[in-house]
Amino acid sequence: MFELLFQHPLAVYRKGELVWQSGWPLWILGMLVVAAIAAAAVFTLRKTVAAGWPAARGVTLWALQSSLVSALLIMLWQPGLSIATLKPKQNVVAVMLDDSSSMSLADTGTARKDLMQRALESGLIDNLKKRFQVRFYKVSDHLERVEDHKSIKAEKQASRIADGLKQIAAETGSLPIGGVLLLSDGADTSGGIDRDTVNALKSRQLPVHTIGFGREQYDRDLALVDVQVPARSLADSRLGAQVILKQRGYAGQKATITLKDGEKTIASKSITLAADGAAQTETLLFNSGAAGVRSLQVSLAAMQNEDNTGNNGLARLVQVDSRKPRILYIEGEPRWEHKFVRRALEDEKTLSLVTMVRTTQNKLYRQGVRDAKELEQGFPATAEEIFAYEGIIIGAVEATYFTPTQQALLKAFVDRRGGGILFLGSRASLADGGYGASEISDIMPVQVGERRTSFHRDRAKVELTAAGRDNLSLRLEEDSARNQERWKKLPELADVQFPGAVKPGAVVLVDATSSQGRTPLLITQNYGRGRTAVLATGGTWRWQMLQPLEDKSHEMFWQQLTRWLVGGTPGPLVASTSNSVYTDESRVMLRAEVRGKQFEILPDGQVEARISGPAGAAATIIMQPDPIQAGVYLGEYSAEQPGSYLVEMISSRAGEQQGIDQVAFRREDGLAEKFHTEQNRELLERLSAETGGKYWKIDELNTLPETITFSEAGISAREIRDLWHLPIVFILLAALRGAEWLLRRRWGGV
Amino acid sequence: MRKRGIWMAVLLVVTVLGVAYGQRRGFMSREFPFREGEDQPTPNDADEKTEFVFARLMYPNWRSNDRVWSMRGAWSIDYPKADRQFVQGLRRLSRVHVRSVEQAVSLDNDDIMNYPWVYVVEPGHWDLTETQVKKLREYLLKGGFLMTDDFHGSMEWDIFMLSMQRVFPDRPVVDLPNSDPIFNVVYNLEGKFQIPGIVNWPFDQTHEYDGIDAKWRGIYDEHGRLMVGICHNMDIADAWEWADSPHYPERYASLAYRIGINYIVYAMTH
Repeated sequence: MFELLFQHPLAVYRKGELVWQSGWPLWILGMLVVAAIAAAAVFTLRKTVAAGWPAARGVTLWALQSSLVSALLIMLWQPGLSIATLKPKQNVVAVMLDDSSSMSLADTGTARKDLMQRALESGLIDNLKKRFQVRFYKVSDHLERVEDHKSIKAEKQASRIADGLKQIAAETGSLPIGGVLLLSDGADTSGGIDRDTVNALKSRQLPVHTIGFGREQYDRDLALVDVQVPARSLADSRLGAQVILKQRGYAGQKATITLKDGEKTIASKSITLAADGAAQTETLLFNSGAAGVRSLQVSLAAMQNEDNTGNNGLARLVQVDSRKPRILYIEGEPRWEHKFVRRALEDEKTLSLVTMVRTTQNKLYRQGVRDAKELEQGFPATAEEIFAYEGIIIGAVEATYFTPTQQALLKAFVDRRGGGILFLGSRASLADGGYGASEISDIMPVQVGERRTSFHRDRAKVELTAAGRDNLSLRLEEDSARNQERWKKLPELADVQFPGAVKPGAVVLVDATSSQGRTPLLITQNYGRGRTAVLATGGTWRWQMLQPLEDKSHEMFWQQLTRWLVGGTPGPLVASTSNSVYTDESRVMLRAEVRGKQFEILPDGQVEARISGPAGAAATIIMQPDPIQAGVYLGEYSAEQPGSYLVEMISSRAGEQQGIDQVAFRREDGLAEKFHTEQNRELLERLSAETGGKYWKIDELNTLPETITFSEAGISAREIRDLWHLPIVFILLAALRGAEWLLRRRWGGV
Repeated sequence: MRKRGIWMAVLLVVTVLGVAYGQRRGFMSREFPFREGEDQPTPNDADEKTEFVFARLMYPNWRSNDRVWSMRGAWSIDYPKADRQFVQGLRRLSRVHVRSVEQAVSLDNDDIMNYPWVYVVEPGHWDLTETQVKKLREYLLKGGFLMTDDFHGSMEWDIFMLSMQRVFPDRPVVDLPNSDPIFNVVYNLEGKFQIPGIVNWPFDQTHEYDGIDAKWRGIYDEHGRLMVGICHNMDIADAWEWADSPHYPERYASLAYRIGINYIVYAMTH
């Protein structure tokens, strides 16, 4: 219909430039149009007024006449559309066929690859060949040129559309490529079309026309969207796996999520499914177990008549570190909190608590020390001593107890070393301990005031804040609602301190309410490479004494809080990879953050990555300094075989080893193709729109070959398409004149 | 007539023995210098809220057919002067933030859970009910600490154990080695010795009944931490109570303070 009225394809109007072929100046046209409108006004309005018609009738006739005269004048100037058109037979069209296994799905009754063959053979290829030279490529995990479209098997376990397009753009630089025709379901397994690919196509002015296959939406499907777990953990820690899922057709029904470590089920949860299409996030808590690499499998039990069960499982790796962080806890006076914190951590096998308490004015009592020398001289006074710990707890110790050097070291401990410091409430803490005027206040998550009456030995009830409810370190119960209730039922604290204003960026996790009012109790923040927290009480010990013997709230709270305190404390070398699981992807980016023995940035070190993988795969890579970030070293590895890999990175300087760390990753094949198997129309449409092409449905391909010709990519010539003789113009003129005639007849004629 | 003669003979023997004993201990020659039961003024800071409070355990007394025995011993012996005088020393000699007055607690409710260190005097005369036994076990396993004092000899030991064995039928009472941290946590107490009560005045003898030697015993939990510190055959509370008296030897008072401080600081650190 469009072409019947407008004579040219829509692409001509989209891409063409308006030109005037008469050669007469446009200003004359403008003046004539204005004059015609004015003349029509004088002529028509005068007659209608004389006839005694209402003004509206006169204005209507005037508008119709003005439009008619203006349109005729415009046509006299011979408007046209200038458009680049590929020269027949001189250009190449690259036809890119998706050869990944998702193309073998028969979600519409016929396999997608068969639909693709049918579309090509029902005239499309012939029509293309009439206008262009046609080159066929098939794309899966790589791009390959093929003779024709018949070699498509749709068995490959990946489709890297973006890589394929980039490769075509690069390899055909010397060819007159007029455009790319991509036939695919859009299920790209490399994460979508990146900006680099679009830019590469744009720089060649290569339009990508896309033809989509497959259903855009399933009727019944339960799918894992993502699973997020911490990449690293301390041993025997409570971790949370955030499972994001979507479903269609099962809203309100029950489903089961299972988390397995190898063959052993370590967590399971029954859930009620949310509305169709809505992302739903569920958290499964589990124990990280002993040191080593945990290979976790998250799966959703298949629902009845599910269209695709291949997207119900995902694998993740968690590296459980063997390190046993040491925490130094200093108390300025004997306090019950000290005793009960020690007890709470007594069974904690993966943490080591070293305590020192000032029992008298001149005596320190040390517990948990490695040998008689440790802390013999009191609180550490050198970087080497203090950096040996990964966390510090400061109890009832006034700020002036620390020398200026020690205060600076505490700051560096968090900022540079990346350790965690927890400040407890007491009569010698925060404002009451003179911290407001000390250098240490810089790293605290609260603005400590000057008023020294902030500590009260009044009982206080505790309650989780909104942020606290989401914090896994504060989970005493797996279920969030039950956890919240359990916190409310905890016995009152023995005392509470008003910590001061919470600093921007800090998070309040727990509030306390006493006869003195409500106040933030547990506040945390990240500072530099580390983290600090204030727990504004010394009275959690009542949770132990005032609850039944078998209740473990107090122990769990302290174990989880101290794990948070040191869980992220880095060593002199932190090894990481860009992902922990690579699905149908072999390129692994290696990263090492390297520090010296005193945790100073090490820009001039040497970093080596030793990789061992499946089937005896082994490699040693010399990593290179990142030009942007000092102390960061980068490397790249190609993991060709599916399976588990272990990377050991070692940093050294002048031949002396500085740090060592390990990281594991896993490569899996054939998984990504099972996810997002619906047609990704959005991706195909966006790709076409950004490159100047068009997304096509199977039933509208007859105009495709001609549309491709409107391209500047290959050998093209400019041509001008006239607009003055369009049927739509004639209809418009007739309609204007006809409308005037009809109105005059109806109103009695003038 | 014959019965009366027997009574007279008994009276004569008792009188003679009593005079002899009194002369030996000096009761007859000097005035007994320790006046129990004097009113203790309440300190001005008695209401201060502190980290530590000296908690004294109240308990029901052992009842036997022997009325005299049954009347002896009570939770309130030396109360409150010993407690208050000791905490003055605790304040001065340590960094423990302590209240100037004691707190009497019982095992009949959960209030004792607010005081994780509790002192019991004369447990050789206690007789805990089943409810109290359970409460004490729970208290100790949660992290509470019990210090016993001022009971002597085998008979009082047996009565003490009648209740204590019901608290911990599964845990033995053991002699504490000198190397135990409780003897080193603040003061080194390896050279400790028997501390006599004022009944031993003028202290040429330091034991009572057949409790010849001071016994430092205890009950450990599964982690090797002391839950019960049993000071048997000694009277530490008398030493606290009469530390201000020139008639009570300083060496005993000093040791008693050091023991008390060690037991409290141990309880606050283990």
